[in-house]
Amino acid sequence: MTTATRKPISRGTWVRAALMGVGAVIGAATMISVDRLSDAGLFDLAQLSWSHALGLSLGGIMGGSGLFAIAVSFNARLTATAMDPDAKSAPRAGQTMFYRQQGAVMLLAGLMMAAPVIAILVFGETPPRGLAIAMLAGLVGASLIQTMLNLSVWNRADEMMRRMIAETGSVCFWLLQGLFYLWAAAEVLGLAPALSSWDLMTVLMAVYLAVSAGAALQRGLA
Amino acid sequence: MKNRLKVLRAERDWSQADLADRLEVSRQTVNALETGKYDPSLPLAFKIARLFGQSIESIFDDGEAA
Repeated sequence: MTTATRKPISRGTWVRAALMGVGAVIGAATMISVDRLSDAGLFDLAQLSWSHALGLSLGGIMGGSGLFAIAVSFNARLTATAMDPDAKSAPRAGQTMFYRQQGAVMLLAGLMMAAPVIAILVFGETPPRGLAIAMLAGLVGASLIQTMLNLSVWNRADEMMRRMIAETGSVCFWLLQGLFYLWAAAEVLGLAPALSSWDLMTVLMAVYLAVSAGAALQRGLA
Repeated sequence: MKNRLKVLRAERDWSQADLADRLEVSRQTVNALETGKYDPSLPLAFKIARLFGQSIESIFDDGEAA
């Protein structure tokens, strides 16, 4: 009788598991902290609509991932491990800066998603006009910086990563234009409630993150 | 698309990272090429062919009969 030989778990799998573990711990700690702050009366989470809650969650996920990437990018070996868990060789020149750049894109995106929701949590559904105008001006500026960072990431990426980015955009467009059309038609026919632009935007971001994560996994980039 | 990249790389005792450096792509791209998860663009296919000193058709096989 022969004993089946089990394939040893690869280093890459251990690294991915460790990264997910870190993410889970940070996520849990964040949720507990937010819950405690809410209980202390600093803000009322119950007043949030589903899309506000989704926007805040996405902001937290992206911001947290971005902060982690930036922190890791200051160590070349950790950067090489995080960027390519299956790699067996030493880190390559430029990897740390590229990873830091991607972290900055995520962190900025997270802040942009969370900022309007935090504003209404702290100041109520209608924040003071001056503050609202200043925040919007800041978000416009952040969008311009975000665009420049994304263009820089595109220029530094190799052809597979560029193709993945382009395909993710296409899949999201075809998926969402169909879903949004059906919802809009139902709304016109009086069969579905109206959606706000924030509702649509958070759904778009959630779908985009899910599709891009799937594409990265499929191509071995995650 | 099937290809002989892994064999050609092994003949020269190159790691995936070594080949990635020579092609100016990421190691994950080389891995995706070798496992058929990604097909190269025409410029990259020419670069691969020149690097190994062979024709594109001798490295990549799209499964179509000649």
